[in-house]
Order: sequence, then C-alpha cells, then structure tokens
Amino acid sequence: MSHDVLIVDDSVTIRQMVKKTLDIAGLNVGEVYEASNGIEALAQLNDHPVAVMLVDINMPTMNGIQLLTRMRGNRRLKDIPIVIVSTEGSRQRIAELESIGAFGYVRKPFHPEQLRDVLKPLLGVKDHATNENDAEGALF
Amino acid sequence: MPQTKTTLKELFSEILANLAFMFTDDEESEPSDQDVWLETSVRYLGPNRGTLVFHCPRRFTRGLAANLLGVDPEAPQVNDQSEDAVREFMNILCGQLVTQFFGSQDIYNLSIPQCRVLPEVPEFIAARDPNVASLSVDGSRIQLVHLVEGETPSPAGA
Repeated sequence: MSHDVLIVDDSVTIRQMVKKTLDIAGLNVGEVYEASNGIEALAQLNDHPVAVMLVDINMPTMNGIQLLTRMRGNRRLKDIPIVIVSTEGSRQRIAELESIGAFGYVRKPFHPEQLRDVLKPLLGVKDHATNENDAEGALF
Repeated sequence: MPQTKTTLKELFSEILANLAFMFTDDEESEPSDQDVWLETSVRYLGPNRGTLVFHCPRRFTRGLAANLLGVDPEAPQVNDQSEDAVREFMNILCGQLVTQFFGSQDIYNLSIPQCRVLPEVPEFIAARDPNVASLSVDGSRIQLVHLVEGETPSPAGA
C-alpha cells in the first residue's frame, strides 16, 4: 500500500531533490504534493490528506514551527507525522521541535539514506535492506 | 582571523562537494567580466549576529542548479532555478557555519536568503581581509564574505 507525502519548503530545488530522494529510496510513496510555505501546506491538506509531511523551518509567510504548532492544535491534522528537514543544528531547537510534536528531524545537507531511515517506519520500504542511522537524522 | 578564512573555504568546499559534486581549488582565476555576477546574502541572529555574503558568476549558479537537480546544464529549468539553487545553498552553508563557529547549544535564526544581480564584477578583497575567502569552481572565481556584528568569531572549540 502506498502513502501520499507533502513536501513543504520554499526552495523549489530542495523540493525536487527530496522528491527524487523519495523516488530512489525504495519507500512506498504514492502521490507527492508540494507547498512553498505553511499557508500553502494547509491549503493542500484541505484538498487531500497525506500520510507524512516533510517540512522546512525557515520559510516566509508561515514557517515550519508555526505550521507544526497550528497542525497540532487542529483535530483533523494533529496526527499527521511531520519530519522536519532543516539547516538548523541547535540542540535547543531540536528539543523544541520534539516538544511540539515533530516525528523526526533530518539536517541539510542530507544523504538519501538519512531520509529513508527516518521515513521507513512511516512509509515502509519495498526492500528489506537496513542501514544504521546517521547522527544528523533522528526519530523522536 | 586566519581561522575564519580557512573555515569558510573548508565548509564551502565540503558542502559543495557533498551536495552538488562540484569541487573547488585555491587557484585564483581571473573573475570573468563576460558574465553576470550575483550577490547572495543570508543573516544569522542569535547570541552572535552576522551575515554571510556570496559573490559568484551566473555560470556557477547554473552549474549548481544542474548538479542539484541531476539534469543537463542546458535543461530549461536550470535557468529558471539557478537563483533558487544558490539561495538554498547559502541557507545550508550558513546553518553549518553557525554550528562550526558557535557550537550547537544555542538557537540561531537564519534570514530568508536574498539574491540580487550586481551592476559590475565585485571587488575581490580576500587577500587583505581575514573574513573573506576566495576560491575557484570549474574555472569560476567566487568569493565568500563573513560580516560579523561585534567581535570576530573563531571556530567552536578552537
């Protein structure tokens, strides 16, 4: 069974890189939707639910933390797993993200294996190969 | 401080290689006056504040976009996305630089990177400024400038 994904990042380049990573990572991905900020993401979620979201922090209009906070306060959206994909490396920030309900965290620049390892529990994989988690990717 | 220049060079080279499979060298080729030059800047704010500024020719941004997207450099989306590619690259570089300079304890917020076309070839000042690094990438000269508000940082743990 495949699962739909929403990528939220203001960089179209990053969205395409993540999309390509999802393609080659052997995950059970269905439709991949895109949004360039939190407001667009919420509009996308009104039209079609997704199994997981990959969200940047640093975006205009509504950033990733604002989006995560808004979704956790919404009964319909609060249980959608959100993996933060960001440039930030602060331990305080990562702890903050965990406290407001992020499922996991992957730091840019990331290797495809890091993204796959964080998403495997959510999406499942088409093969049974396993990899050790890198220090820059984490499940909360 | 000499460590700033070295850190800028090493981080830039490492991230460019890992992300885009592009490689730098220290040879200072002449900056091209046959190309459009871009300035991309991103600010960091936290217990320390500063700005990272990047000067490069358009040719570099096209190569970067093509490599990040895994497409031919002549593909149409390369032109359209070249500025986005360099903005995102600077976003990533600045995030890593902040950790390198100040550690990973405190929160730093980054601005949305801004990219603009310069009216002429920028002045290259790396030789006399310890907070400036100059490199070449595939024959294109580039320059990284670290503008610090307050005291010049040294890398964390140094």
